[in-house]
Amino acid sequence: MSLDGPDSLTDREQAAVEELLFRMADDEYVVAERYIEWQIYAPTLESDLAISNIAQDEFGHARLWYDLLQDMGYTEQECLWERDPKAWTHSTLVEQPFDEGDWADVIVRSYLYDVAENLRMEVLVDSSYPPIADRVAKVLAEERYHREHAQSWLERLSGGEHHEKLQAAVDRLFPYALTLFAAGPHEEDIVSLELRTERLADLREEWLDIVVPFLESLDVVVPEPDEVDLPEATGRDGSHTDAWFDLQSEFTHTYHELELEEPIRLRGEG
Amino acid sequence: MSMDSGAPLGSDACAYTDYAAGEKPEDFPKTGEGATGVEADIWKALYEVEDPEMPVSVVDLGLIYNVEVEGSTARVEMTLTYTGCPARDMILNDVRCAAMTAPGIDDADVELRYNPPWNVNMVTEQGREQLREFGLSV
Repeated sequence: MSLDGPDSLTDREQAAVEELLFRMADDEYVVAERYIEWQIYAPTLESDLAISNIAQDEFGHARLWYDLLQDMGYTEQECLWERDPKAWTHSTLVEQPFDEGDWADVIVRSYLYDVAENLRMEVLVDSSYPPIADRVAKVLAEERYHREHAQSWLERLSGGEHHEKLQAAVDRLFPYALTLFAAGPHEEDIVSLELRTERLADLREEWLDIVVPFLESLDVVVPEPDEVDLPEATGRDGSHTDAWFDLQSEFTHTYHELELEEPIRLRGEG
Repeated sequence: MSMDSGAPLGSDACAYTDYAAGEKPEDFPKTGEGATGVEADIWKALYEVEDPEMPVSVVDLGLIYNVEVEGSTARVEMTLTYTGCPARDMILNDVRCAAMTAPGIDDADVELRYNPPWNVNMVTEQGREQLREFGLSV
């Protein structure tokens, strides 16, 4: 099955493509917004650089997906700066605030998120929507070292004086991470139109098969996935935790302050 | 595009711009060889557009994927070395303006493509030469 470009989609196809794109774009954008809070607080200069670099990658990936939404007629303002915060569909994992100095949190979050992102990209390689399929290889190539970064830090933090913080971060974030796989209203269409070649429920199992044994190998106790209560706010249906509304207000502040009607273009034509 | 001077290409030392050697896709890089008329003029103009960080043209870096002309409108397809490239708007605008300098062209659309994904093997021989002069080992 192969759909054409943005101009010839039926309403049903368009709604499904939009849901898929907004979920990915919003996840990437918001996870990056949180990472950059660490840019000057990470524990070493090397990790300052690494985390800001990872954030830059994720902003770049957000841009890839927002670009495709713009090809469907949305403006950047509608996607980001003037969008109702209740319309965002990122997982509530990525909007969680950090406790001061809790480096274990960013590492656990990044590990749980990046393993999921890799799986999510792999089932888009054969997406029936060519503009998505065409962008996946580039993202996959840029993602590998995110997982390596998170894993190497997890290994450093485990077993020693920071182990308790690591465990606490897993306990706190794991239920939110499960919302990465919470279905949105068009999940059935996304799968039956082959926009994504696997169900979220199957991706969740594959993700558990990777993250649970790895964390357990570090002597971290992982909550039993089927016994964890999914947070009330999954993000996927526009429901969010309070922290999101504060974050959204912060990152749109300068846009409103400068009264920018449209993003400034570098180097005017001439 | 961001490269640490001296970092050996193809190593895992820095993945900021993807140095993983990768394959050179068949028919790439596109250099405008064989183009005629206004399309040839556009390729020539694009050779004058340099990456903002390195004195190498966007054509020699292998970033231009296609050039077409319809009436007085040019359509350029190109890629970026890195999805998070902070100079995207600048490069796109430079490419657009360059295409519009060709005789008979009064508008240009620049479209981004990421397939095939760019890798360093898509730099032309001339581009490699210039990168070496700039101090990168390629």
